[in-house]
Amino acid sequence: MIEIIDQAFKAVFGAIGIAIFTIIFGLLYKGIDRKLAAHMQARVGPPIRQPFWDVIKLFSKENIVPEQAIGWLFNLAPVIALASSITIMLYLPIGSFGPILSTEGDLILILYLLMIPSLAMVLGGFASSSPYATVGAQREMVLMISYEFPLAIAIISIAWRLNEANVQNPFSLSSIASYPIWNNVGILGILGLLLLLVILVIVTPGELSKIPFDVPEAETEIAGGLLVEYSGRNLGMFYLADAVKTVAMATIIVTLFFPYNLSPILNLSGYVAYITDFLFYLLKVFLVILFSVTLIRVGVARLKIDQVVSTYWITLTLISLVGLVLVMFDKVAISRGWI
Amino acid sequence: MKVSYSIPIGPVHPALKEPVMFEFEIEGERIVNVDFKVGHVHRGIEWIGMHRKNPLQILPIAERICGICNISHPFAFCIAVENAAKIDVPDRAQYIRTIIAELERIHSHILWAGVAAHEIGFDSVLYLTWRVREKVLDLLEYLTGNRITKAMFTIGGVRRDITKEQYPKIREALDFYKKSFEKLKHVFLDDKTVKLRSRDCGILTKEDALKLCAVGPTTRASGVKKDVRVDFPYAAYGDLDIDYITPDILTGEVRGDVYDRIVVRLLEVKQSVEIIEQCLDNMPDGEIMFEPKVAKLLALLKKTSGDGVGRAEAPRGEVIHYVKMREQDTPYTWKVRAPTYNNLMPWIPMLKGEQIADIPIVAASTDPCLSCTNRVAIVKDGRKEIVTHEYLHKLSVEKTRRLIG
Amino acid sequence: MRFAMIGELIRQMFRRPFTNLFPAKYAPSSPSRFVEAVKKGEIKINPPIETPPGFRGKIVYDREKCIGCRLCTKVCPTDAIEYIEEKKTIRIYVNRCTFSALCTDACPVNALSMSNEFLLSTTDKNSRDLIVE
Repeated sequence: MIEIIDQAFKAVFGAIGIAIFTIIFGLLYKGIDRKLAAHMQARVGPPIRQPFWDVIKLFSKENIVPEQAIGWLFNLAPVIALASSITIMLYLPIGSFGPILSTEGDLILILYLLMIPSLAMVLGGFASSSPYATVGAQREMVLMISYEFPLAIAIISIAWRLNEANVQNPFSLSSIASYPIWNNVGILGILGLLLLLVILVIVTPGELSKIPFDVPEAETEIAGGLLVEYSGRNLGMFYLADAVKTVAMATIIVTLFFPYNLSPILNLSGYVAYITDFLFYLLKVFLVILFSVTLIRVGVARLKIDQVVSTYWITLTLISLVGLVLVMFDKVAISRGWI
Repeated sequence: MKVSYSIPIGPVHPALKEPVMFEFEIEGERIVNVDFKVGHVHRGIEWIGMHRKNPLQILPIAERICGICNISHPFAFCIAVENAAKIDVPDRAQYIRTIIAELERIHSHILWAGVAAHEIGFDSVLYLTWRVREKVLDLLEYLTGNRITKAMFTIGGVRRDITKEQYPKIREALDFYKKSFEKLKHVFLDDKTVKLRSRDCGILTKEDALKLCAVGPTTRASGVKKDVRVDFPYAAYGDLDIDYITPDILTGEVRGDVYDRIVVRLLEVKQSVEIIEQCLDNMPDGEIMFEPKVAKLLALLKKTSGDGVGRAEAPRGEVIHYVKMREQDTPYTWKVRAPTYNNLMPWIPMLKGEQIADIPIVAASTDPCLSCTNRVAIVKDGRKEIVTHEYLHKLSVEKTRRLIG
Repeated sequence: MRFAMIGELIRQMFRRPFTNLFPAKYAPSSPSRFVEAVKKGEIKINPPIETPPGFRGKIVYDREKCIGCRLCTKVCPTDAIEYIEEKKTIRIYVNRCTFSALCTDACPVNALSMSNEFLLSTTDKNSRDLIVE
């Protein structure tokens, strides 16, 4: 009985703590992203605390619901998007803290949870009763279908390989974090894993609707797409959901591919170890965001929807299948003693 | 059965830089039908000029018809009035006019390149090209006194001289542009995502371009060889060595899509740099104005009667001004035909069959300048009718008979 | 190279930005107190960019040289110049002026010239700064 209350306390306070942490750091990373992008384009750019000002301004503006929109769905969609983005973070380890909630099938659960914020945006777009929002919502649905395929292949192949290396609970994130994947494979596996890392880095802008896969929210084509009728508090919540989802995707990549911590190397313990690992985790997330969001966002043009589908379904799926085959072949090679 | 819905783009839309009202009928993402209306930036400029202001006062007003092609409108107006009054412009003034017009063409094409990059979502190229454009704007400020409204032209010549002390700065800017041309060419024409967005997109065939009388780089990209500077040379273009610019100079084939229009405009920047160098090397000495005293010029213009037509090659095509003087100090008629007026109808064959995502880049690829296009409309008794080709032909036959007999 | 801009962008990240900076980094909450502090020398501002010679800014009128020929009123495109009968001089309304410098060229005694002042906006339509006589 006391155990259950204890668990409940831990879950509630942990959830609130995680929510505050991801919102603050999500907005901070968004600010750093904008500042770095501006310096790459030879501009000065906004100050790093600009997204905080943006959110404060949005929450103080009037919330307008169009007359012909479906009212309850229009107001519910941003709440679902923000809540499900925060829920993803409850399952991910941060630094050397374990995840707040942990099950045996974490990875599959995260694959499903990642879809919910996008679905909420689609529902919000369809509930908006504007032709631009309808076009944007249709495009977001097509985008979701297309990036799921390489994402699923990349994630499942890591879990499969860990299973073959006799790790308990391969789909659980705490065990993936404890047994880094690079230690358990040979040379062919390293090549395959590098390909899968590239795939995940290219799926990330698709998840987050950034250029070049920015089709649902194209500013110059459909004037803001899904979010065209949103204003005030609802738009603020979509903004926060985008920031939180960025941190969540970056944490997934860090957990799957770079779960190393500094404290065993430097022989620290106690609170100093926790803080050092936390700072190292922030640095890793910053590097992942730099390469997968910022650099790709400023460096290429926006693609059309049929080109997005053919990029994900043909080019990236083939690359991820090659990565999967290499990882499988690596296991065969190790068991036969070839390498 | 597919259900089609209609989307309005405009008059105010992030894709458009100037207001025009499009109505599309769309099935899924494919465009089935397109219609457009213009007239949202009508300011009544010809009405201000006719009957109310003398030709020297009309020059700054003609300049403000458009912010990007604001040398070509005064240029054509000056040629029209000089034809009507039979004024002979000195040679040095013709060369200076050519230099300023070519500098403006460089500025306009580089501005367009940035806007086109923004329409396909490539903001970094927008910032890069507009950084390059700052150099020509600083040079124009040094030569003429202002970045945009340059006020260099007067009836019978130019108002300021380009002295030998100013030459080094011009040559430095030209060298900068030769270097940046390579960089811009590399970014626009070799980048894979730009090619994905612009190749085989918004195609205008040669037959359509000839039938719809398109002008400027829009029609040269479809292979039609039409350029006022080569066909009917004015100012110093008769002495210079220029030729039509079509995309097969660089790529070897002509497809008439958005990519070809990018190629034509970038090559025209290079051609303008070469023209300015030729002008600087061969600049003749002499005066810069036919009549420096303003009072005598106004008196001369007050005594003219007759009409004159002035044609110039704006960055967007051929601009025509028609002026009719009747021995008063204000002109009796002033009519402006901007190049974008001809380039409006080609939007319809270019847009049918494309996706929604192509609308901004195809609409921007003809470089529409709708401020130039909206001109005077005289409404008589509130009647509204559509004038057909046969009716116009009948009117012109009657007028010819009146003129002859 | 297939993605032509990426190398350029990474190189640009380590160079100075191209922007001409505003005088102050962040907008001051009270502009008049900010200007006071600058005049006393407490706060440093970024200097403005120099205008080239021949810049067409606010008009400057020399009343001594004017002979009252009214040629400038005939060439002004916006009718911004008003002739005062009693004093035989002119009055120029800067808020209608389009800086075309036609009056400067037309004047036979060179009584008009263009300065390089370009920060001319005020909040009062009838302010004395906008009338030159």
